[in-house]
Amino acid sequence: MNSKGTHAIYLAIILGLAVLGLVADRFVLYMGMRVMLLAIFAMGYNLLLGRTGLLSFGHGALYATGAYGMALVNLHLTPDPLLGILAGVALATACSLIVGFFCVRHTEIYFAMLTLAFGMMIFSLIWNLRELTGGDDGLVGISRGSVLGLPIAKDGQFYFLVLFFFALTLWLIHRLRGSAFGLILAGIRENNQRTSFAGIPVKSYRLAAFVISGVFAGLAGSLGAMLESNTDPFSAHWSHSAEPILVSLIGGLQTFSGPLVGSVIFVVLREIIQRFTQNWMLWFGVILLAIIMGMRGGVMGGLEKRLKRGPAPAGKGEGS
Amino acid sequence: MSKKGLTRRQFVKAGLLTGTGAALGVGVLKPTGLWAAPAKIKGPVKVGYQAIMSGTLAGYGEFHKMGVVMAMEEINKAGGIAGVPLEVEFRDSTLKKPQAIQNARYFVDSWGADFLAGVDSSGQALALAPVMAQLGKPLMVTHAATEKLTEIEVYKKGIKEIFRICTPTYQDGNAAAFVAQGLPAKKWATISPKYEYGYTCWNMFKDTLGKLKPGVEFVAESWAPFGTTDFRPHINTILDAKPDGLYSVEWAGELITMIKQANQAGLFKKIKHIMLPVGAAMDVLEGLGAEMPDGVWISGRYFFMFPNDQRNIDWVARFRKRWNHYPAYVSETGYSAMYAYKQAVEAAGSKESNAVIGALEGMKMGSPAGERVFRKQDHQAMYEVPWGLTTTNPKYPFKVMGKQVIIPPSEFFNRPPFEGPNTHPPFKG
Repeated sequence: MNSKGTHAIYLAIILGLAVLGLVADRFVLYMGMRVMLLAIFAMGYNLLLGRTGLLSFGHGALYATGAYGMALVNLHLTPDPLLGILAGVALATACSLIVGFFCVRHTEIYFAMLTLAFGMMIFSLIWNLRELTGGDDGLVGISRGSVLGLPIAKDGQFYFLVLFFFALTLWLIHRLRGSAFGLILAGIRENNQRTSFAGIPVKSYRLAAFVISGVFAGLAGSLGAMLESNTDPFSAHWSHSAEPILVSLIGGLQTFSGPLVGSVIFVVLREIIQRFTQNWMLWFGVILLAIIMGMRGGVMGGLEKRLKRGPAPAGKGEGS
Repeated sequence: MSKKGLTRRQFVKAGLLTGTGAALGVGVLKPTGLWAAPAKIKGPVKVGYQAIMSGTLAGYGEFHKMGVVMAMEEINKAGGIAGVPLEVEFRDSTLKKPQAIQNARYFVDSWGADFLAGVDSSGQALALAPVMAQLGKPLMVTHAATEKLTEIEVYKKGIKEIFRICTPTYQDGNAAAFVAQGLPAKKWATISPKYEYGYTCWNMFKDTLGKLKPGVEFVAESWAPFGTTDFRPHINTILDAKPDGLYSVEWAGELITMIKQANQAGLFKKIKHIMLPVGAAMDVLEGLGAEMPDGVWISGRYFFMFPNDQRNIDWVARFRKRWNHYPAYVSETGYSAMYAYKQAVEAAGSKESNAVIGALEGMKMGSPAGERVFRKQDHQAMYEVPWGLTTTNPKYPFKVMGKQVIIPPSEFFNRPPFEGPNTHPPFKG
């Protein structure tokens, strides 16, 4: 598909979501926001996993630092949502710089285990610093205030703030993937030795990818804290880090739209199954397994392959 | 904002997002009969109930469900609520906050619930408070015990939608201190869960007992993280401190494990006075059987042997006939929550939120656990739950309460405004 067509599709998605924001009822809006937040989290994450080839189990903790940074500013300093989000993102960025600095020296399983260890350290800190973080109760009573004079207290209003950041994320990730920086990340994934022989400081690039994905995790976290009006220590747990991994796998690791499609499937499928059975975890697991095992390259990966079967595989290195 | 029932349009909208499957998921429980609705209340009264139904604590969800389903069957058989049937849908709360919020929003905005009930974890209850304020529907908490819910969210922040029908941490911390006051133990220690519930209860116990009995010492604390399976290091820490009394708010499977390991370590021979605020839970008593020692102080949110009146005896008999099980405390709180809504709706003559909230405030109700009164200021139900000593009774395959002590709730429930003099027990005057 040419790039004009792709742009048109994404523009249509954003417009569609905007229309949804005007007409849908409160539950649909809420689910829509959950999907967008997970998509922001997962698209940022996939820059690290799908693009750079690094599997992190610590991004739940970065999501949580975003949420707690936002919540602390909101509860103690100012109810201004933008300043709160800024604080959340800044804290997540700082944490990903520190964690990333130590982790990117390693790859594969060593990298994964290090991120897991750092992530669980942050989880323990949140759990134990009860005076600051509220322990397992988390921080409650986060207010939404207003953005530039526009109230966002109601879901129908807050939805558009989430949509704005979602659109911003789509655009930024798209630009990043297409840039020289994004291509170098793919180079590192394919062969990091060759990339370093080309004179590229591989570690710095890895760190940059780690921090960028951390920024988006923090953004999703701070918006999530506003959506739910509380913070959850379990959002720092490694099991929460598995969500963007699953979502990317379902949608397609090597595709741009994979994490987005994966997020829709993950949130909506779960909600549907819960309406049928209280044994929803089992069925959810079975269906996810079927998608992941049945469609190599995820839903979007599989779709792209099918679309490209006819004509010459022009962008194959990109697509599959 | 308050949409009643599920209109076709909402249905179609929900379908847009959730696919064609949504249609089938609307209710596990359909109305069981036809009633002519009076002019004021239209359609069924719908209650969305969430509890933990997966993982190691799934048994609690089952116990919740038994009580609630039984209440629904009885209510509908007797003509429903103000002439319309009661309809209940259950959802797994998974103990995770985002799931609890999603459930609440699903119930109110998609399923069209009039009221919500359930919730096991304190963190979830606190997270739900602002959500319920936004959704504008009452939530009757049947298990989560944190006093912050009623003291801060309801009383201080004025979130009117939250009510609690079970005893809060006052039962675990304050009432325990009143019982401990009468025991010869001078030195107390704890093994408790390493999260807010554990810290809160122990602090309340220390604070109240310290005031009731000056000179009492608190010599050791050992905090067990969620999911602890090896309590031996904790038991050893406590034994090293040589206390006369052990206080522990461990609960469910972890309490069972702790008691078994304490038995092996001979703890019950070395420490004479043991207090388990949630030891009277049926899963614990049945899980331990004869392994629960005699002479241990236990309590809960309800115990099937108290009160020893006809209403409770009949209820326990009906419950056993229906489920072949003794009722757990969450069965009673779930059951009574349905009757609380019934009474409030009938008193208000409406199922509209504000009317029902108004009716619930200060409402007195009879229930298997005895008479309950919903305190107006903080929406906390006040009723008596015994503290009792475990004893072997050949009539039961598990330990039950022998000697029972009742502390009146007015003596040990923190009082509004919850801050300042004479708001925490012991009270003067």
